[in-house]
Amino acid sequence: MPDIIGKKVRRVDGYRKVTGEAIYGDDLKIPGLLHGAMKYTDIIAGTIKKIDLSKAKNMPGVVTIALQKDVPGMKKVGPIRQDYPPIVENKISYSGDVIAVVAAKTRKQALAAADAIYVEYESLDPITDVETAIKPDVRLIHPEYKSNIVNHYPLRKGNVEKGFSESDHVIERNYRTGFHEHAYIEPESVTVVPDYTTEGYKIYGSIQNPFTTRKVVSMFMGIKLNQINVISSTLGGSFGGKDDIINNLACRTTLLAHLTKKPVKITYSREASIKESYKRHPYIMNYKVGFNNNGKLNSMKINILADSGAYSSQTFFVTWRSVVQATGPYEIENVETDIRGVYTNNTYTAAFRGFGTPQVIFAQESLMDEIAEICNISPRDVREKNGYKQGSITASGQRLTDHKVSLKQVMEAAVNKSDYESKIQKFRELNKTNERFKYGIGLACSFRGCSLGAEGIDTSSAIVSVQADGSIIIFTGVSENGQGLQTTFSQITSEILGVPLADITFLNSQTSAISDGGPTVASRGTLVGGNATIEAANIVKNRIFSVVKDELKVGKLEDTRWKDGYISSKIGKEKISFSHACEKAVSAGVNLSAYGWFKSPDVSWDDDTGQGNAYFTYVYGCHIVETMIDTDTGKINVENITAAHDVGKVLNRLGAEGQVYGGVTQGMGYGALEDYNIQNGEVKSLNLDEYLIPTIKDIGNIDPVFIENEDKHGPFGAKSIGEPTLELTAAAINNSISFALEKQNYELPLTLEQVFLGKKLVKPSRQSEVVHASKKYKKQVPYINKISVKTPKNIKQALTLMSENKYKVLAGGTDIVVQARHKIKPLKLINIFSLPELKKIKVRNNEVEIGSAVTFTKILNSEHLTNFKLLLQAIKTIGSTQIRNKATIGGNIVNAAPCADSVPPLIAYDARLRLRSKENERIVPISEFIKRNYRTIIRLDEILISIIIPKPKNYFYSYMQLGRRNAVNITRMSISVLINFDDKNRIEECIIVDGSLFSRSQRIEVVEKYLFGKKLTKNMIKNSVKYLSEKIENEIGGRWSAEYKKPVFINIYKSALEDIYKQRKQDD
Amino acid sequence: MIDLEFQVNGKEVHLKVDDSKRLLDILREDLDLTGTKEGCSVGECGACTVIMNGDAVASCLVLAAQIQGSIIETVENLEKDKVLSQLQESFLDNGAVQCGFCTPGMLMSAKALLNKNSNPTEEEIKTALEGNLCRCTGYIPIIDSVKEAVNKN
Repeated sequence: MPDIIGKKVRRVDGYRKVTGEAIYGDDLKIPGLLHGAMKYTDIIAGTIKKIDLSKAKNMPGVVTIALQKDVPGMKKVGPIRQDYPPIVENKISYSGDVIAVVAAKTRKQALAAADAIYVEYESLDPITDVETAIKPDVRLIHPEYKSNIVNHYPLRKGNVEKGFSESDHVIERNYRTGFHEHAYIEPESVTVVPDYTTEGYKIYGSIQNPFTTRKVVSMFMGIKLNQINVISSTLGGSFGGKDDIINNLACRTTLLAHLTKKPVKITYSREASIKESYKRHPYIMNYKVGFNNNGKLNSMKINILADSGAYSSQTFFVTWRSVVQATGPYEIENVETDIRGVYTNNTYTAAFRGFGTPQVIFAQESLMDEIAEICNISPRDVREKNGYKQGSITASGQRLTDHKVSLKQVMEAAVNKSDYESKIQKFRELNKTNERFKYGIGLACSFRGCSLGAEGIDTSSAIVSVQADGSIIIFTGVSENGQGLQTTFSQITSEILGVPLADITFLNSQTSAISDGGPTVASRGTLVGGNATIEAANIVKNRIFSVVKDELKVGKLEDTRWKDGYISSKIGKEKISFSHACEKAVSAGVNLSAYGWFKSPDVSWDDDTGQGNAYFTYVYGCHIVETMIDTDTGKINVENITAAHDVGKVLNRLGAEGQVYGGVTQGMGYGALEDYNIQNGEVKSLNLDEYLIPTIKDIGNIDPVFIENEDKHGPFGAKSIGEPTLELTAAAINNSISFALEKQNYELPLTLEQVFLGKKLVKPSRQSEVVHASKKYKKQVPYINKISVKTPKNIKQALTLMSENKYKVLAGGTDIVVQARHKIKPLKLINIFSLPELKKIKVRNNEVEIGSAVTFTKILNSEHLTNFKLLLQAIKTIGSTQIRNKATIGGNIVNAAPCADSVPPLIAYDARLRLRSKENERIVPISEFIKRNYRTIIRLDEILISIIIPKPKNYFYSYMQLGRRNAVNITRMSISVLINFDDKNRIEECIIVDGSLFSRSQRIEVVEKYLFGKKLTKNMIKNSVKYLSEKIENEIGGRWSAEYKKPVFINIYKSALEDIYKQRKQDD
Repeated sequence: MIDLEFQVNGKEVHLKVDDSKRLLDILREDLDLTGTKEGCSVGECGACTVIMNGDAVASCLVLAAQIQGSIIETVENLEKDKVLSQLQESFLDNGAVQCGFCTPGMLMSAKALLNKNSNPTEEEIKTALEGNLCRCTGYIPIIDSVKEAVNKN
């Protein structure tokens, strides 16, 4: 029994991370540091005609501006095909292309100078879909490669046409998936320091693959590998995402360090990160499958187009993995697969956890469910019938004999853990009676090749260095990306040498100190790096043994036990402490440092036929997802996910579970939530307020289940876990949605519109909206320029300042500080946040008066406002706790965003606003205050002092809000309803206010009028809809979004009234 | 420029800073407290969360003028005399930390909650942490950690 392998072990780097001591890329401080910034392209596609640096060069603090002509080495780089220019010469291929790089004394100065670079372009209409890009006679994105097709991987096995002709059924389906942004919480950062000892550079930062970074920078700078030492900082998440982008950023930063002879740091803002960084490839997949009545698959023909975006990057490798795994873990006699990567003018695409598999698994597993339905067998049966067994032959002709083929085992484990069979019955029953909420359950399976496979040389390195006092230093060629590799390798060393973890130190990777261990990708860290660590530790172990064996009176290493810092004999009672043994070994002149090296078993691949032994071992997984769908809105709630994985062997249970929780959550985001908005090549979702990743309220229960079939090639039998966890979830979610709605869905992500309408709703692209060069000076990347703030002592002083008509009001700051990042002119603010007069909640007989600087948290906790239930319910959904702690009710009103959640309830309550200037005061109804989105009637010299709300009668109320997530939403739409009844049960008073639907929130009077005087019945609610429908049609019917908004608003309107109907019934 | 007097982690601070600076910049640049992280600059990710006058706030949205006279607590203040707080211990024991970039903000949001509510429900924990995005852990170990810290305190 191992001592520490398989246990729950704390992260060895955890202490630094919970105390704030860990140093991430941007935390580095170096004297004399310069800061860099990018000048991005202003257009999507075209040619640069002129670059004018004259203004930028003379900006304060600017030290140098680099163009492509300054690059000493190769102008273009790339992992396989060198088509990516870290700084472009004159051709623009996508919105994240970099034209120039500025070094200045401060980051702000660098950003300002980058914005001051003037570029003239000749722009072209971007090509943004792969189907257009492959048409004959279409403009070539990169003419030098003669085609927009980056690569083509074919796979041929058997004879698909013969297979189709022998099948009872042949069906053909098309599937689509979207881009997927990594959204690591740490934006990219690189610091380069000139190193005079090597006449080269030290490169620090958020670097996923230090050896790759080194190689790319050496090419770009035209210097040797031994002149560059890449030292990873603590990495704030990567998921495959800090590979190419960080290499390219390192190139630019090194160039600036070269030109200035100074250390230079470049840290990205979130917007720069999302704009420039690569994404997961969108796929368009056509699957044609032939099968028999019993569900047996005979033949499968697959055709896939992968959007590579503007550059090839990892497209070759990503699509290669897809071709190996495109049929899923099913044995099919006849397979013909063709996958092509295609250049477009979109954001380029490359590695992302999963690496070409989540797309094909979505298609394949959706297809399997459809086949099951046609054959009238269960989703599980169709998979068991066709699934890989020991000795099965894969699509690439590989016979699976070298490892335990555990597909059936993982499926059984997931089925049992989730109680799959009985839930199918239960949900079917529930769905018969429930109209609005439908329950879904879906299953998906996969097999996955471990490590790089036939992508390339697969080797790794490790050093275990034991010191004379018994303490140990280890470091490896693969790196810690946050996944916990340091801990696993420390455990391995601890297990072998019997030394407590506390005596082991893991050093961050640095390329000059160890040989290239390959990239930390493909879930290979533990597998290959772990093996190298084992080898190094065993070499040292043998050397120590040779010194102490006589004292222990044993002849063979097998006769010793290494545990708890002691080496003891298994035969006799002899025992020696590890530290003493080390001391002896050092005295005897023994070298206690050892190098471990692991070379993966051979694999093979034939590019023409797609046949070969693609990977030396595989893992198997099965996810079962339970969902609840609101059919009124298309909103999905993921309730429960069971994730069963054969990992070979669990080394650190805490780490393995963490991989499952995290991977599954990312997979959930990919399937149900995350929608990278790019239109005509222009990225619209540039920050985390628009690109929505799951919050803590969006995940349900997750049950990790581990199956351990130890692999002969793995360290202690371990294989992979990082990527398998992500690749299945979206497919299983989709199957659960299709189950619930009894309708197949063929496209990811499952946005509200996708679920509700069965299609994506895209803003129609007009030629006029295609981004061409803009003469208007604007910030390419937002940052705060210049703000000056005056803090008056009292309201009188504040109003005197306001009378100068040049200030804006700073209350909570949660909107204005965000907006300030986009402003170019200096912003002058009057800080009213702490003025006591504005922080009070005053109660009078028939009304309350809330000071405008009262925060939402204060309102929620106020004892005076408990009767304003509609308002409180709306406020609970605003932002997050941090935002509500700072944001004020006055700010929310004056900002007048269409999604300002406090406004509709205040309109419903007939609130009035006290506006005051130095000379005057006026009180206006809130319904007249907001003219339209972001426009109000407040004058430049006025401050909103307070909000006066009549004490509400004993209304029945209902508030419904729709957002894509369950927290921190931008409200898509809301409805606020207040109703009173007379003693004859007739509606005596009725107030209905929309949120985010019309050009400004307003009472929907036509509907109110219809309801007035009537009894609230289900029939009456139904009849009232036509008035609402007409109103919506008249106001927003022509908008592209109305196809979704109109029916859904009607649905939430009906729900709100039915809610009151139910309350009323309970009251009776 | 503004003359600031405020308290950070129990120490009085006197500083003259540019009005354009945010609390986040002051902590990271002027006070060398780099435990507080910048992830989005718009109050969406919560990596920059600190406790200000008892409340969790996004320090990227707090301008210098608004910290005058306030009491600020950052992640660097959680460990006392080389002893980790229960919250930190629980985060480590439950695997609530992977890459660790969201961790300081998560800890401060959780601390602000526990300061006010010593026995929160799961829903209250989620509400307190809804403004802290994590891309590694799937949140479940974080929820478990806060619950454990509540039980052990």
